[in-house]
Amino acid sequence: MGVRNEQKAATREKVLEAARDLFNEIGYDETTIRAIAERAGVSVGSVFTTFASKAEVLSHVMDHRLSELYAEFDRVVPFLRGSTADKLCSIFAIHYAFETRRVKLFLAHIAASYNPSNDPGVKPYGRNPRLTQMLLDVLRDGVSKGEVREDLDLPLIADTLKAAYAWNYRMAATAGGVLPAAQMSAVMDKQIAMIAEGWKPR
Amino acid sequence: MSFVSVNIDQGDETPVKLTRRALAKQRTRERVLAAARRLFSERGYEGATIRDIAQAAGMSTGAVFASFADKSELFEEILTADYEVIYAQMIQAARNAKTVDEALLGLFGVAYSFHVEQLPLLRANIAVSWTRSEAAERRARTELKRVFQLIDEALQRGVEQKQLKSDVDAKLLAEIIWDVYLANYRRVVYDGWSVEALLEHLSNQLKIILAGAAA
Repeated sequence: MGVRNEQKAATREKVLEAARDLFNEIGYDETTIRAIAERAGVSVGSVFTTFASKAEVLSHVMDHRLSELYAEFDRVVPFLRGSTADKLCSIFAIHYAFETRRVKLFLAHIAASYNPSNDPGVKPYGRNPRLTQMLLDVLRDGVSKGEVREDLDLPLIADTLKAAYAWNYRMAATAGGVLPAAQMSAVMDKQIAMIAEGWKPR
Repeated sequence: MSFVSVNIDQGDETPVKLTRRALAKQRTRERVLAAARRLFSERGYEGATIRDIAQAAGMSTGAVFASFADKSELFEEILTADYEVIYAQMIQAARNAKTVDEALLGLFGVAYSFHVEQLPLLRANIAVSWTRSEAAERRARTELKRVFQLIDEALQRGVEQKQLKSDVDAKLLAEIIWDVYLANYRRVVYDGWSVEALLEHLSNQLKIILAGAAA
């Protein structure tokens, strides 16, 4: 990497970190590009040469965070134990615990992905291939162990679980962002148990 | 079936015996609502300011504030009016159905058909629902409760007709069903799904969700 590229990468890193903290502290709508530049100690112009819009900054912040989370998962997944439902409960509980560390940031991300004035640089909420893959792996494993019926549409089950997972964050939104992750995972556990009742071989 | 909101179409029933002053006031409100609906759809809730709305309606910000206390009141009034339009149809669709699936698909079908037509406004509504104030959240919940009541009725009828087990956790079922209904809007926003595609997907999701509850 040349000096120039290194500088560019360093600016990017600083901008993403500053944006992440500001979005979480004062909210996404309240955070201006100017404030991000100031916190990052770079010029407003250099933020704009790296990102097309604030919404794009948010998408990148979220991507960045997910790579941290999935590095954690790579270590944890081989050690997941229990039934198919248990494993799924653990996966979602880890997600809730991770996202509630900066829950306002996460809520802002969901909100922004629905905004009608979004530009094309915005990554849709709910397009998380790693999570989908993880759920499918666990479900397939469940099929091979005879815990899950083999005639089921597994991607559809994953899709249904993800919907429940995602909208449980409403509880955090209603609580003004202050909600223990355990409260969301407790509800998720019940939802998983209910769906699991339907996938049992009969 | 009409999906036209009272905000867009005033209809031809003019309330009787309105004084000229009251009539003028009502016209102002309608103009503000129409302009607000357009701007919220184009720019989202945060992106549309009262100032922009006033300008688009061709009046002063003061005149807007004479009719509405703040932006959230304005936004909620638009949504409530829409909701009143579809709620009656949702009841009808749910109560005319023979099975649980039919009732749920019927009532959500009404909602999908309406909202897909007005997708930008729905997006603005979903976006704001994640970050709105507690008071606004509480107000939104009263409307939501009525929809949940319809879902619950459909599930209870399923129990009575022995389609579902008698000990189902109806509240939990209703929540998941609501979650998938809402989550499916992403497919419209990002993948351009049609109402038919949404309903087919929802129908398959309901099979997964209700499988464990089936009697």
